[in-house]
Amino acid sequence: MKPNFKQESFRGDYSYKNSPVAVKRFPFPFSEDNYMYSVNIEPHTKGKPGSVYEFAFDIDEHYVSECMDKIITLEEDPGRYTALPHMMGAQWDFLELAMTSLANDYPDYFSLKRSGSKWSWENKPLGIVDVFTFGDKSTLPMEPFEYIGRQLQGDYVLLDQRDETLYADAGIVTSQADWSLAFNAGMSWKEWHGPVPKVTELGVLDRALKYLLNLQLGSPVRRLNWTMTINPRLDTSPENYPHWGGDRTKVNAENVADLVNLRVELQTLFRLPRSNAIVFGIRCYLMSLKDIATFPRWAKRLHRVQKTLPTDLIEYKGMTIYHPFVIDWLSQFDDGEELGFGTQPE
Amino acid sequence: MSTLNVKVAAIEQVTPLIKHFTFVNEDGSLLPAFSGGSHVVVAMEAEGRTYRNAYSLMGSPAETEAYHISVRKQENSRGGSVFMHENVTVGMSMKITQPVNLFALSKLGHKHILIAGGIGITPFMSQIEDLKMMGARFELHYAFRAYQHAAFVNELTEKCGDSLHCYADSQGDRLDLNELLSSQPLGTHVYVCGPAPMVVAVLETARTLGWPESSIHNEEFTSPPVGLPFKVQLAKSGIEVNVPGEMSMLEAIEAAGLQPEYLCRGGVCGRCELNVLENDGGIEHNDHFLSESEKASCRKIMPCVSRTKGKHLVLDL
Amino acid sequence: MDRGYWIRSKPAYTSLTWHEKASAHLVLASGMGGMAVLKLFQQMQPAQPVTVLYEKYGQNAADYSEILQKVVPENLYIYQDDDLLLENLKEELSVSRMGLRIYVAGSEGFIWDVAKTAALFGVENYDIMKEQTDTLARTVYCVHCKAMNKNVTTNITKCTSCERMLFVREHFSRNLGAYMGLMVDVETPGEFAAIEEIYP
Repeated sequence: MKPNFKQESFRGDYSYKNSPVAVKRFPFPFSEDNYMYSVNIEPHTKGKPGSVYEFAFDIDEHYVSECMDKIITLEEDPGRYTALPHMMGAQWDFLELAMTSLANDYPDYFSLKRSGSKWSWENKPLGIVDVFTFGDKSTLPMEPFEYIGRQLQGDYVLLDQRDETLYADAGIVTSQADWSLAFNAGMSWKEWHGPVPKVTELGVLDRALKYLLNLQLGSPVRRLNWTMTINPRLDTSPENYPHWGGDRTKVNAENVADLVNLRVELQTLFRLPRSNAIVFGIRCYLMSLKDIATFPRWAKRLHRVQKTLPTDLIEYKGMTIYHPFVIDWLSQFDDGEELGFGTQPE
Repeated sequence: MSTLNVKVAAIEQVTPLIKHFTFVNEDGSLLPAFSGGSHVVVAMEAEGRTYRNAYSLMGSPAETEAYHISVRKQENSRGGSVFMHENVTVGMSMKITQPVNLFALSKLGHKHILIAGGIGITPFMSQIEDLKMMGARFELHYAFRAYQHAAFVNELTEKCGDSLHCYADSQGDRLDLNELLSSQPLGTHVYVCGPAPMVVAVLETARTLGWPESSIHNEEFTSPPVGLPFKVQLAKSGIEVNVPGEMSMLEAIEAAGLQPEYLCRGGVCGRCELNVLENDGGIEHNDHFLSESEKASCRKIMPCVSRTKGKHLVLDL
Repeated sequence: MDRGYWIRSKPAYTSLTWHEKASAHLVLASGMGGMAVLKLFQQMQPAQPVTVLYEKYGQNAADYSEILQKVVPENLYIYQDDDLLLENLKEELSVSRMGLRIYVAGSEGFIWDVAKTAALFGVENYDIMKEQTDTLARTVYCVHCKAMNKNVTTNITKCTSCERMLFVREHFSRNLGAYMGLMVDVETPGEFAAIEEIYP
């Protein structure tokens, strides 16, 4: 089923809306009544038709408007794209992965023709047509990573593998949940996870790193991460925190269901062939509490997870001020029914 | 593990002991691109068992119409190299893994010193292609018994020119490691691949001179050591597996029909790690992955290279 | 911050001791870092060649140059300011060989200036032994306007460029040699915790 690409905003008047199709396919992340960090990595294999897991890179009804929002963010702050010089090989690897996947999975929207190193690319929804030489950055209007990163929903970070760890050496990051690429560029795995509470004690980081160091070509993996955002805002960067941070104080009992969005990140990791680097994709899905409550099972599950969330996690995710309103509003749906394991809406 | 279906397109006797095999994709399409230093694990279907050996990819990572590997016939072969030499023919179909890289070049190095011993030359063949593409400074030091046993010298001379230095043992050439490693500018990385004593010599020399660990890289072609036969019980599967002296535990478990996780099959990557539930007599750890305390506790084992010292072993598989 | 919560990007420094395996040693020190150099030479005089570059005064006007001249056997160079020292460091590194061990003692700002210079020659920062002396003052990167604020001794500081009041997080970037400063009063304009000088 082809989505109609919406024209909507993720800032200012926040005209963003989810259609019923989008609500149903939302990657609700909670399979149990309480939440703790785990190495919840699974193979990123072809999922159910229509689901967010069906293809390597998910394109949905928000594709065009999200790409437009990305352009605004990059224009205002070019530092939201950065690539250290030694990552050029990885840049081309990622361009190849993204283009071949998109052309294969969404042939109505994208086409790729290759004749040796002469490549022809068409992106119909964005109206882009380019012919270029693979490996020669002078034949593209900008660096290959930024070029293709602007045509995908979500953020992407290229990780160089060396010294038994991973380094965040390139990124295009415009829809992050509160971390700065300009600050984190060049950091190692342990360093960029520095601020996350609890996770080191649990050993989760070390196990995840060991697993990723052995990530193989052709066997990508995925996991879900989550937080909450006020308004369906993509750019919740520390850079622009003065613009969006104040919104947290505007939540009250009347508007909580419309204002508070559950923000789920579908994180994917692919090994890249020529550079041996890893691309880390962070694909963001926003859903208001109101839309989530369309499915009572989700509302009940979410209520229980939020009620039992440890304080340092609430604080780290920036939810402290408005969290009581969230719990209060969700409680009306929770009749104590036994829900069982699983993230399904019904 | 994702596998590639390939066909043997050519076999060339390069030296009396070394054969060069060319693989192409069964369906005629290009094989995946890879990074210099990568290897593939080749599965060899013999009677009653499957041999699986890792071989470095020698070709240019940019030209993947074919993959190229070289196999040296080992004197005390457990069967894999002998199989490749005597049973593999042109046109034969085989299964190999996607390329894996446990011997990657440093992208930040200012200069690269490559040291190869005998068949250890193979991973450097693809690495020099990457180095040339990067425009990086490098030297390749290639030591071998005699020129008649030295594979690819002509090809390497063409590709590397003055950057290639050869040392033939039979002619009395000696590579002076101390001299070589005490005269390098800051930012140099050293890479060694070859027989164990040579690898140890390079690592020791570099470390003694004060090279930091981050600048020292090695790939060792270890085959799992042979030992005494023993039985291993797999608790979750509820079966008992006989491990003959010349088979690794991983191979024996595979021969019994299971498909345990693995990657390098040489004790370095940690992928095949299993929990030990019961053990008498202690464990013969032959890997380079577990920490000293993990080895001492005998609660974990790498089935690809390690064995039990006792008679009774129970694993959580 | 809860007790037991530790931001693991914050570097941990050490007390300088000679590497046993080395071909040569290069020691960089600033101000009170001179004392760290004296401690080194009290441990032993290494067999290998040693070079010491020392900038007197540093953050606290400490000058160990006279004592260093008595203790350091050869190749001691004294500077009045760290820019000159860093320039000479580049020259020194350009003719150095693998096997050289590098040590630095000084303020955190000095340490990472040295690390950045050494990175130009392919030296990884974790291969440099580091001792923090002189001051606990931090360099702060304002994430909003991207300005660098040096010598910040407080937990909250005013950005010298955009004038926002910044909370200085313990999250540290080795590439930038700085801690992240994030606007402290977005949700409560004008109201924030007391400014305390806890990084003297």
